[in-house]
Amino acid sequence: MKIRTWVYSCILGTIWSACGGAPVPHETLTAAQADVKGAEVGGATENPKAALHLKLAKDQIALAEKQISDGDNEEAKRTLIRAQADAELAMALAKEVKAQSDASEASEQVGKLHKELNK
Amino acid sequence: MMPRSTRFVNVCASISGSYAARSAVLGASLSVLFLACGGAAVPPQELLDARTAYAEAAKGPAADLAPAQLDTAKVSLETAQHNFDEDGPNQATKDLAYVAQRKAEIAAAEGAREKAERKRAAADKDFKSAQIEGLQKTKEQLAAEKTARVDAEKKAAAAMSSLAEIAKVKEESRGVVITLSGSVLFATNQSSLLAIAKDKLDQVASALQGQGFKTIVVQGYTDSRGNAADNERLSLKRAQSVRDHLVSKGLPSEKVTAEGLGASKPVADNGTADGRAENRRVEIVVTPDK
Repeated sequence: MKIRTWVYSCILGTIWSACGGAPVPHETLTAAQADVKGAEVGGATENPKAALHLKLAKDQIALAEKQISDGDNEEAKRTLIRAQADAELAMALAKEVKAQSDASEASEQVGKLHKELNK
Repeated sequence: MMPRSTRFVNVCASISGSYAARSAVLGASLSVLFLACGGAAVPPQELLDARTAYAEAAKGPAADLAPAQLDTAKVSLETAQHNFDEDGPNQATKDLAYVAQRKAEIAAAEGAREKAERKRAAADKDFKSAQIEGLQKTKEQLAAEKTARVDAEKKAAAAMSSLAEIAKVKEESRGVVITLSGSVLFATNQSSLLAIAKDKLDQVASALQGQGFKTIVVQGYTDSRGNAADNERLSLKRAQSVRDHLVSKGLPSEKVTAEGLGASKPVADNGTADGRAENRRVEIVVTPDK
């Protein structure tokens, strides 16, 4: 009987350390939140594709926060890494869209000027 | 109730009795394990998406314009692939592939951004050089206009001086007065222009066209012989002939008028033949623009 109790407690201990042993991923959470802020400031809300990834990032941060409060720290960290990837992509897409519209505006201006000169 | 020892023996017997069944189960589970670990496992959708995204990015401008980001995406994809090869389509593989797909899309976006920025820089440069070209063009245009104006002035001056060879040109308070001798223009008592007169009037017309003027009055004069009414009529007819010829050479008809003034305002002595010849004349009075 004594041996069985010892075995159970060993098993329980192993399970407990597996689930709750990972630390709360504070740094990853902060980094993901900062990336979301950056993408928002960078204009990710103005372009549909960028806005989609921004939303994915935000949803996953919310999910990670729930996982942290449930004690699923390892799971939360993985969710946050996904969130970060989405936020970075949202930012890159926003920058791309802005560069594209700047470029077409600039070529339009040049076209106008050339037309004016060739009158 | 059976004693404990008997129950144990029964269990052992039943285990050894089903040895064949046991090995079959073991074989099956081994093959499942083999499938899970080996190349035959189906890659998860995330990994397929990541591969596609990377292939797309590598085809685009990122290859030249965002090579660092593309390399990051490549490493990310390789990590996901490696995880899949080692551990199969588990959650870690899916997570890694999820990130790898986005890294590839980021590389593609960075490449496209860089391309757009270069296009913009080229357009800005083009804009500046076009502006400079425009300024240059304007300068050249102004210079050409100035040259044209100087040329026109020279031409007009030349025309006026050539006019002086065939007619008297005087500047008076009423304007520039061009005096043509009647004997050059008309036969005696006639009001139709001689052929040589037409040539001279053509020169007068072209000289006048080069200059701005408000009005031109063509005045006909005779000498004092004969009766005054006939003289006035003849002088008016002659003035009109000259006026019509000038208009036919392009001078604006509304600005050019004719007057017949007969023997009034003689410029020389009517008592001598030379004086009378001088008095038979046509004066073209040009009132300047300002």
